[in-house]
Amino acid sequence: MKGKYWRLLRYALQQWHVLVAVAVLTVLSSALLALQPWPMKVLVDSGFGEAPLPAAWRSAIDYLGLPVSGAVVVLSVALAQLALFALNSAVEAALTVGWTVAGQRMVFKLTVDLFHRLQRLSLLFHSRRPVGDSLSRLSEDTWSIYTLTAKVLISPAQQMLVLAMVGTIAYRLDRELSLVAIGMAPFLGASSFYFGRQMKRRAKHTRQAQSRLTSFIQQTMSSIPVIQSFGSEARNRRHFQVLADDVTWWAQRGTLFSSSFGMANGLITTTGMAIIMFAGANRVFAGQLSLGSLLVFLAYIKSLQQASESLWQIYGSLKPVEAGIDRVLEILDTPETVADQPHAKPLLNTNTGAIHVRLEQVAFGFEPGRPVLRDVNLEAHPGEMVALVGVTGAGKSTLVSLVPRFFDPWSGCVRFNGEDLRELRLADVRARVAVVLQEPFLLRLSVADNIAYGRPGASRAQIIASAEAANADEFIRQLPHGYDTEIGERGATLSGGQRQRISIARALLKDAPVLILDEPTSALDAATEAVLLDALNRLMAGRSVFVIAHRLSTVRRADRIAVLEHGAIVETGTHDQLLAARGVYHGFHALQFEEPRKQLA
Amino acid sequence: MRLWSPRLLHYARPEWRALLLVVLLAVAVASVEALKPWPLKLLVDGVLNGQATPAIDWIGQLPGAGTPRGLTAWLTGLTVVLFLLSSAFRMLQAYIQIGAGTRMMYQLGGDLFEHIQRLSLRFHVRHKTGDLIQRVSVDSRAIRDLLVSVGLPLLTSSVTMAIVFAVMWRLHATLTLIALGVVPILLLAIWTFAKQMEDRSYAQSELQGRMMGAAEQTLAAIPMVQAFGREPAEDQIFGELTAQTGRAYFRTTISQLRFWIASATATAIGTAAIVVVGGQNVLDGRLSLGSLLVFLSYLTALYDPLTSVTYAFSGYASAAAAARRVLQILDVRDQLEEKPDAIELQLPPSGAPSITFEDVSFGYDPANPVLQNISLTIAAGERVALVGASGSGKSTLIALILRLFDPAHGRILIGGHDLRDLRVPSLRSQIAVVLQDPYLFPLTVADNIVYGRPDAKRQEIVEAAVAAQAHDFITRLPDGYDTVIGERGVTLSGGQRQRLSIARAFLKNAPVVLLDEPTAALDAETELGLMAAIDTLVKGRTCVIVAHRLSTIKGAQRIYVLEGGRVTASGTEAELLTDGGVYRRFHALQRGPNR
Repeated sequence: MKGKYWRLLRYALQQWHVLVAVAVLTVLSSALLALQPWPMKVLVDSGFGEAPLPAAWRSAIDYLGLPVSGAVVVLSVALAQLALFALNSAVEAALTVGWTVAGQRMVFKLTVDLFHRLQRLSLLFHSRRPVGDSLSRLSEDTWSIYTLTAKVLISPAQQMLVLAMVGTIAYRLDRELSLVAIGMAPFLGASSFYFGRQMKRRAKHTRQAQSRLTSFIQQTMSSIPVIQSFGSEARNRRHFQVLADDVTWWAQRGTLFSSSFGMANGLITTTGMAIIMFAGANRVFAGQLSLGSLLVFLAYIKSLQQASESLWQIYGSLKPVEAGIDRVLEILDTPETVADQPHAKPLLNTNTGAIHVRLEQVAFGFEPGRPVLRDVNLEAHPGEMVALVGVTGAGKSTLVSLVPRFFDPWSGCVRFNGEDLRELRLADVRARVAVVLQEPFLLRLSVADNIAYGRPGASRAQIIASAEAANADEFIRQLPHGYDTEIGERGATLSGGQRQRISIARALLKDAPVLILDEPTSALDAATEAVLLDALNRLMAGRSVFVIAHRLSTVRRADRIAVLEHGAIVETGTHDQLLAARGVYHGFHALQFEEPRKQLA
Repeated sequence: MRLWSPRLLHYARPEWRALLLVVLLAVAVASVEALKPWPLKLLVDGVLNGQATPAIDWIGQLPGAGTPRGLTAWLTGLTVVLFLLSSAFRMLQAYIQIGAGTRMMYQLGGDLFEHIQRLSLRFHVRHKTGDLIQRVSVDSRAIRDLLVSVGLPLLTSSVTMAIVFAVMWRLHATLTLIALGVVPILLLAIWTFAKQMEDRSYAQSELQGRMMGAAEQTLAAIPMVQAFGREPAEDQIFGELTAQTGRAYFRTTISQLRFWIASATATAIGTAAIVVVGGQNVLDGRLSLGSLLVFLSYLTALYDPLTSVTYAFSGYASAAAAARRVLQILDVRDQLEEKPDAIELQLPPSGAPSITFEDVSFGYDPANPVLQNISLTIAAGERVALVGASGSGKSTLIALILRLFDPAHGRILIGGHDLRDLRVPSLRSQIAVVLQDPYLFPLTVADNIVYGRPDAKRQEIVEAAVAAQAHDFITRLPDGYDTVIGERGVTLSGGQRQRLSIARAFLKNAPVVLLDEPTAALDAETELGLMAAIDTLVKGRTCVIVAHRLSTIKGAQRIYVLEGGRVTASGTEAELLTDGGVYRRFHALQRGPNR
């Protein structure tokens, strides 16, 4: 457990020069804290009482050439207070600036690193985690590094320092009274320990209740059409209330506990203060202690109380910090399974830039023991179009997602021009593959920016050319601002077919030698599809193409068809070969085609 | 100001008892706090300096208080009692306050949540989901903050200051005037710095929002980001936003620091002045030492509330901004609201209703009509197919039947009633729908299927799944019907997700069935089985089906062809084929070149 703190403290230690300054300032501020009650003591004892001025004070007044009268002492005390205040403010201001600089730098450095890592984790990771979860790790949990540094590194040291300094001075003022004061420490410790543990539990429950409510809100807000169709608004409202009541209940319990803790702590210190007042007053009465010293003592007890309260807060805030750190580390520790190997090779271009793709005895699955693909052998030569056919869930989409190396196979390998993908540079591999996925994933950018996503430098002419090829130019021009129309959330306001065509244009503009089309035309009508397929056909020249489709009109254009069943390729061949073989494909074909024709006849 | 409109205060009304109690407790705390320095004063003056304690002679009457030792014991005991009293009040106040605050916040949040759910899709296509979530779960805190962090502190601080001021005045008028001399300086500091603190912290939260927006957009489209190798570019964008946020954060801190230094300097000068003048008074014997000590501790009691008022003001700015964001949405009225005299849609037990479009036009924005002058009638129990190019308005037509939008022109009738005359829940409860996007929830498979009918038995769920051809794959999932689906349903294939949404529609068992491309993601074999199931589902019901595939359209009694938002042809399949129009071309393309 300690180990993980140290790992993240690396981010804090990178700011060591600021932190050293902070540490020095902290020592200064503790010393100033111990000095603060002294002018008052001088005022009471020497100004109003009979006690002689402390030597240093006296020489300071003499140095200014002033008489040592009551009025001068009073004035000097006020000035001393102001000077102490000015010093203290300067130190505090410097501390705040130092903390802000160091804290903000370490938190944002961690955030950037976390984002960097999140982007590069394989889809396997992202498929199991809601985006909101990753976001809250980025925006909230990263602050735990700051809390960790402030509360674990600096604050205990500061409080200990205060305790030691104040303790020493108090001890020299009056031994027995200090022992009374120090005697309170074990009680404070015990109450911190008891309440701290209780608070941790309650804080956890509150957080959980809150996150249940937030995910419910999120889940509802992102499914409005289905909620309205099924009329579940009122039911959702009731559920919201149940979850909200739960949060309220836990929040109240938490407050009750934290104020009980405050009360217990206060009771201990107040009792201590009362004992010191009583004993101190008796001593003053007996002439063993000056009134000013008693006042100093009482001020010190306050500092002691504050120091012990802060120490408790450290204890209380450690648990959420621990949780935050765990959540940050979980991401940082997830190995980039799909990553460059130490000696990854660049993917060299052949003369034509073409790529021969080959899958060899590939097995793969998302969960251990449940393979989605088994012993898959498949290749696509440049200029060849391979169609994948099979029932829903046969593993077609999974198979093509191995080509841009979204995942690494369990066994077997995927090769580009004979090189295992795992030995090549990931960036090189992905630069050679253009994909059109089932879900278009449009971003909240303009239409033009969406199309140019894979080639940010593309000219407007190139963008329009790709849109034309994807049969999207016409509808784009009809949008309110044409190519500069901003696309709404998840591509809303565009129809399914329009979104799909933009994603095709995007892939076309990338102009990569390997092209993957995962049901590129499922949301298109037959006419649009036909135009598009003709355009694709022209663009496919010299490229290695994998296409997944249900429609035979798309499939029959393929140079080779692979039929998948339960993750294994059961048939391959051309349309005619497969029909002649009268196997699985023949069955498909009969279902899709022959029957409607018969009926029409 | 608009924020204090009855709308927001309405949320405070149910909590008025709690709020009143909180105020009374706050006054009690302030009064006890004002008593706290007194035991020390009495101790210093009465015991140690041997002066009489005329103000409070009942203490002298206490048993044993005659001796200095006894009086000391009573006085120290009194500090403990005062402490216990003030913390008991504080504790009670905090407990009641958090309860009332949280309840108000969730009442407002819940109302907003419900309101947003009922707003038409026109609203939803324009608003980002993340932003709406933020408004419901975070911005609704405004009501709590306005009352608890702004209203109450203002009130309590004023009361505290009044009490402290009264006591100080009675102790020593001159010193009190000196103490008050600092107040204008403090107000000046507030006036000078408050605006800057506000602006800067607003700028900071704006940047934070943009930073998270960028992260959200990237992570939601991660397959594309990776496929297009955009990670370094996104890193750079995010890194720049982060650096900007960092700078904004620093600027906010600096402006807070300036304010803090200004106000702390003012109070320090005030304290020093009191020490000088008060000290002189003590020397002259016009003021007791104990009184000076009391005075000095009151000084903090006077200045602290002033500072907390400032913070309350800066809290007001952010709470006000949040409240504005909440009210903005609560104020959205769209035409989907029910008429006050809306009636329940009642259909005869046997009867599927007819659906009629009379000259209906609609567009998401007025300049771009999606549907134009649509007139068509779907007879009771009829099965109708909509075909047409993508973007021709088929899905929109389906949404209009559900009254997810209202037509801009014309009207839609179901069973002879204008949709706008009906209560929305009664209309939608009669319609089962399978949308293009299946929208599965991160719940179990079974919970997703029962979504429209939470009381359904397991037996019925399984029957619906069997009918939707989903039973087989569901039983192969790790926990069968109790398998939890990932947020984006990634562990299920597109076809599997669609079959779950079809099962959901089956279970609803409604007299009207709307199917928006129910089979687009399915292979031919699955589709064939499913179409058989759909045949049973729609028997005796009024059904509208949107499809591209001929095999899905098959079985429709009437086909409408949509082109550019208009119905350009209609009839049975045979009629349309002989007609030689669009449908024929469509049909030919679908079958592919003749071999």
